[in-house]
Amino acid sequence: MAVTRTATNVSAPGGGPQLRRFLQRHPGVMRLGVVLVIFIIWEIAARFLMDPDFISPPSVVFTSFGDLFTTEGVLSALGVTLYELAIAFVISVAIGVGVGLAVGLSRFAHKSFMPIVLLLYGLPQITILPIFILLFGINAPSKIAFGVSHGMFPIMISVAAGVQNIKPILLTSARSMGAGRWHILRYVIFPTMIPSLFAGMRLGMTGVLLGVLLAELYVSTAGIGYFTSVFTQNLQPTKLIGLVSLLATMAIVLNEVVRRAEVHYARWRD
Amino acid sequence: MTAEIAIQARNVSHQFGEAGEARHVQALLDTSIDVARGELLCLIGPSGCGKSTLLNVMGGLVTPTTGSVTVAGKPVRGPMPRDLAFVFQESALFPWNTVFENIVVGMTFQGVAKSEREDRARRALRAVSLEQFAEHYPGQLSGGMRQRASLARALSLETGILLMDEPFGALDEQTRMVLGEDLSVLLSRSQKTIVFVTHSLGEAVFLADRVAVFSARPGTIKQVIAVDEPHPRKPSFMTAPKFHALRDQLYGLLHDEIRKAMAESGQTRRRYDDVANGADA
Amino acid sequence: MSIRARMPRERGLWSRIVQLTFLAALLLLWTMATTEWGVSHILLPRPLSVWHEFVDIIGSGEFLPDLRVTLGELAAAFAISFTLGTTLGYLISRSSYWIKVFEPLFAGIYSIPIILFLPLYVMLFGLGPASKIALGATISFFPIVLSTIVGFGYVDRTLVTAARSMGASDVQMFRYVLFPAALPVILAGLRMGFTVALLSVIGSETIASLAGLGHRIVNLAENMEMARMFGYIAFVVAIAVLLNTLVSRLEARGRWQ
Repeated sequence: MAVTRTATNVSAPGGGPQLRRFLQRHPGVMRLGVVLVIFIIWEIAARFLMDPDFISPPSVVFTSFGDLFTTEGVLSALGVTLYELAIAFVISVAIGVGVGLAVGLSRFAHKSFMPIVLLLYGLPQITILPIFILLFGINAPSKIAFGVSHGMFPIMISVAAGVQNIKPILLTSARSMGAGRWHILRYVIFPTMIPSLFAGMRLGMTGVLLGVLLAELYVSTAGIGYFTSVFTQNLQPTKLIGLVSLLATMAIVLNEVVRRAEVHYARWRD
Repeated sequence: MTAEIAIQARNVSHQFGEAGEARHVQALLDTSIDVARGELLCLIGPSGCGKSTLLNVMGGLVTPTTGSVTVAGKPVRGPMPRDLAFVFQESALFPWNTVFENIVVGMTFQGVAKSEREDRARRALRAVSLEQFAEHYPGQLSGGMRQRASLARALSLETGILLMDEPFGALDEQTRMVLGEDLSVLLSRSQKTIVFVTHSLGEAVFLADRVAVFSARPGTIKQVIAVDEPHPRKPSFMTAPKFHALRDQLYGLLHDEIRKAMAESGQTRRRYDDVANGADA
Repeated sequence: MSIRARMPRERGLWSRIVQLTFLAALLLLWTMATTEWGVSHILLPRPLSVWHEFVDIIGSGEFLPDLRVTLGELAAAFAISFTLGTTLGYLISRSSYWIKVFEPLFAGIYSIPIILFLPLYVMLFGLGPASKIALGATISFFPIVLSTIVGFGYVDRTLVTAARSMGASDVQMFRYVLFPAALPVILAGLRMGFTVALLSVIGSETIASLAGLGHRIVNLAENMEMARMFGYIAFVVAIAVLLNTLVSRLEARGRWQ
């Protein structure tokens, strides 16, 4: 079944046939153009139409990054957040792979425990965020724990699924050549699992980002949450937007790193 | 030929599932055969007749419900990687390793010393003319080349016996013929014992020293036919009158069995094939 | 490598038994921890206390004003994202060029946790429902617009050609070909959007709000009323499960494949 686009090829707007043709061949450039237009609208609205107490234009935000960094504690808060993200991710992978393998390798274990895993994954974890804070305190451990709690499930599920899908002929073949349990784990199961693992890690990174950042925002007495709260209350939109933009950039970069890794390590699978 | 027995199967019966269960299937019934050292024995028969099961039993991948198998004098209780090597129909090459790495991994399983592995791998690749493709991934190769790589892996293990389960089954006829000639050449150069499962009458006559014809399920060996022709066999053998006579003889033996097998319900046969291919292993 | 049960039917039963035993063991652990092992009630309330509070919450109707706020925010957010998402998605899907421009853009933005922007929304809209609605609408916009683009943009060309050859007008094409073909994909996107809107609303209530279920839970935590807080958590989870099941059912009704 050929699923092709039903849309017609409407040509891009723009003055002059040269520009038009260029934009048509490079939708990526047009995309940048769209983003630019949004920034321009923001600039105009913030500068002329809205209350400067509540919003800042991008030009001001951009040029004031220096102020943000010199504000005491901001840089270290960002550093701590990055540290939390890294640790939470590593732990999520460790737990995700461990449980994923355990559940995926045994058909019985899979049937018994996977429904529980899926059930837990679907719960709105944000409701128990206050409990995490009460249990682990207002510093890094609670943010890491909450991040792990979000990030480990997609990895668990992906790894279990990947392991379940091993072609039986590969196991038979390895057995026939004398492979013992350890050999099979290391040379057959593990490589099979890698593409699923990386797909799971991509979702896991998204989860870790969500968990850690939510926890950070919730705790308004320390870390990033302290600063977002302070900047909001003191009507400092420039710094607030700057801070949030930095966090967003951090998130985009981390996501992209994991995505690239996934593409690289799943090369042989097509 | 002084018959030194490489494989001895005695009264092998095998069933899948318990009697009375929906998935019960009597794959083999009281099958016995001796495989002489250095001979190529073909197992041929209709679908579901148990020839693959017998191969798996010989190789220690399946423990028969009754009966026994001895390989090189030793009773078979599980895989015997130093004595026999398999080549499967489906590509059993690890898709994440290159051809070269695949061969090395096989030797890792068998327990070959690290220092020997690379040389052996290169020799095996040379034997099947695949040296240029050593660094390719299986996904980049054609079906014929993949099977040649699988054969190279089996050869690198330097076992006395090769068990081949329809290795050329998924290939087109022209590739089959060429690979069959290569196999014959290989056989003449080494002293390997080969048990070869096939569906193709022509392939059986061309390759085998003896052909064991199976009945429809529950399978047992109906008759064994000898093909008296030295290896390496030339393509001209295929046009010889002896070839056609043997082929006709085979067809006569198989014809009724094939009809019988087709008359069975497709569902039972499919389930059997899934189980036989290790889906429940 | 697998534990092969005697018969496939029994295997299903045994899994169920394992699951129930697991849950029962958790409950037992919880009870033991709070009664015998002396885990502080400030941290972990007794299961029985939680149950009593839960029953009280429902019986007294105390949950009603908070529930109304949360559901109200959810409804408004979803209404906005639904309208904007489907309309914009349809318009973009009409041109393969604009699909190429916007689809990666939307997908890229959606990959970061947009709830991150909550402080900005609070700055602009205050601590009241408006910021929750705005953020919820923003977050749930993306899965809806993406699924609408994909749903309408990738309809099987053969079907369209066949309909055109039979003389279908543009309106007929939409009604009898495009819309039914796109519906399952769009419904999946709507379900995702709804789920995400609910999480966003509760999440933003937890972090920065004056009312609503999320806020109530935080409030109780700050006052150390643990048993009641657990009761409310159970309540919110129940509501979430209920709503999600409802939405899944609705989605299934609209599916033909």
